[in-house]
Amino acid sequence: MTSSELIQIATSLIGSLCFGILFNMRGKRLIAAAVGGLLSWGLFVVLSHFILNEPINYFIVAAVVSLYSEIMARILKTPAAPIVTTSLIPLIPGGSLYYTMSSAFESNFTMFLEKAVSTLKLACALALGIIVVTAISQFLFKRVKQR
Amino acid sequence: MEKLLDSIMDIGEQMLISGAEVHRVEDSIKRIFDAYGTKRTDVFIITSSIVVTIHTDDKAYTQTRRITETSTDYENLHKLNELSRSICKHKYSDNEIKKQLAEIAKCKKYPLWLEFICYAVISGAFTLFFGGGITESAVSFIIGALVRFVILLCDKTVKNKIFCKFVSAFIATSLAFIALRLDFIATVDKVIIGNIMTLIPGIGLTTALKDLLVGDSIAGLLRTIEACITALAIAAGYFAVAFITGGAI
Repeated sequence: MTSSELIQIATSLIGSLCFGILFNMRGKRLIAAAVGGLLSWGLFVVLSHFILNEPINYFIVAAVVSLYSEIMARILKTPAAPIVTTSLIPLIPGGSLYYTMSSAFESNFTMFLEKAVSTLKLACALALGIIVVTAISQFLFKRVKQR
Repeated sequence: MEKLLDSIMDIGEQMLISGAEVHRVEDSIKRIFDAYGTKRTDVFIITSSIVVTIHTDDKAYTQTRRITETSTDYENLHKLNELSRSICKHKYSDNEIKKQLAEIAKCKKYPLWLEFICYAVISGAFTLFFGGGITESAVSFIIGALVRFVILLCDKTVKNKIFCKFVSAFIATSLAFIALRLDFIATVDKVIIGNIMTLIPGIGLTTALKDLLVGDSIAGLLRTIEACITALAIAAGYFAVAFITGGAI
């Protein structure tokens, strides 16, 4: 692991923690969200050594982090959505959006299209990852409860 | 029954304002009325409105609520969720529910200075995250706090969220550019990206896509459009500075 990757993992923890505070999360729920932030980027860094396709990595990370959030939500007796959204903040394609803007300004349309499409792909991969796990876990947890 | 409906509508309204997804609120309201044993409950929710009709043996009651502003508050959401669960269990009277809601409304918020620090830390942290250096991160940290100040001013004066994003992006970009001119930093992009992270509608877009994929098409479309317009406002703020400086960014 390079030092820049370590910095990224540390700052993703800080980022999720601060966003959690802005969303008025408290106590154990705030900690769960901050750890989720660390988990999400840590996993992404590890995965990116093996899989070179960014959207697929995003999908896997989103799925794993939502599973983590569903479990934490059950333990802490709270909705899962706040934990998922705060945990996945480091994956928000902010850089990608910036380069979409700047290439539009420079009239560099090949780069603009490339960046715009990649921003959309990443956002869709994130949402899909969350949905798949939420749907499956709702079904599974219902089964467990009924027993 | 009418009063009960009114207090349950309050819960739904507060949940939506705090940032709950549409289907969660619909689900909660339905479950609550199932617990009270109404014959039929019809709930229709989009991000800006709630319509509920409940049928008892002899009468039907309908109420609507219009939601104009949202402010993400997950502590509030957590408490509302707990309340709606215990309502299902204990079937409180409408007075009791109102009392509990008033209790929740009193729940603590973090102080304003902490929000300033959070904006600063988020901006600084994400500048590092996207590969910026220590000085760039420090500049970004200061700009982050100033952006929170701009948002505060906007909230007090114009009260238009889109315009507020535009102004924030404009100020953040121009400050980054000034820092470049004064030779504090070598490139502006990492600083601007760090500050964009506090403004970006990333959560809005993810929730929008979630709503769409779950099947709440109207709510999802509304949120998507909202997120796109916000992104455009941020881009416009950036473009304005870029044009003024003659594209030297």
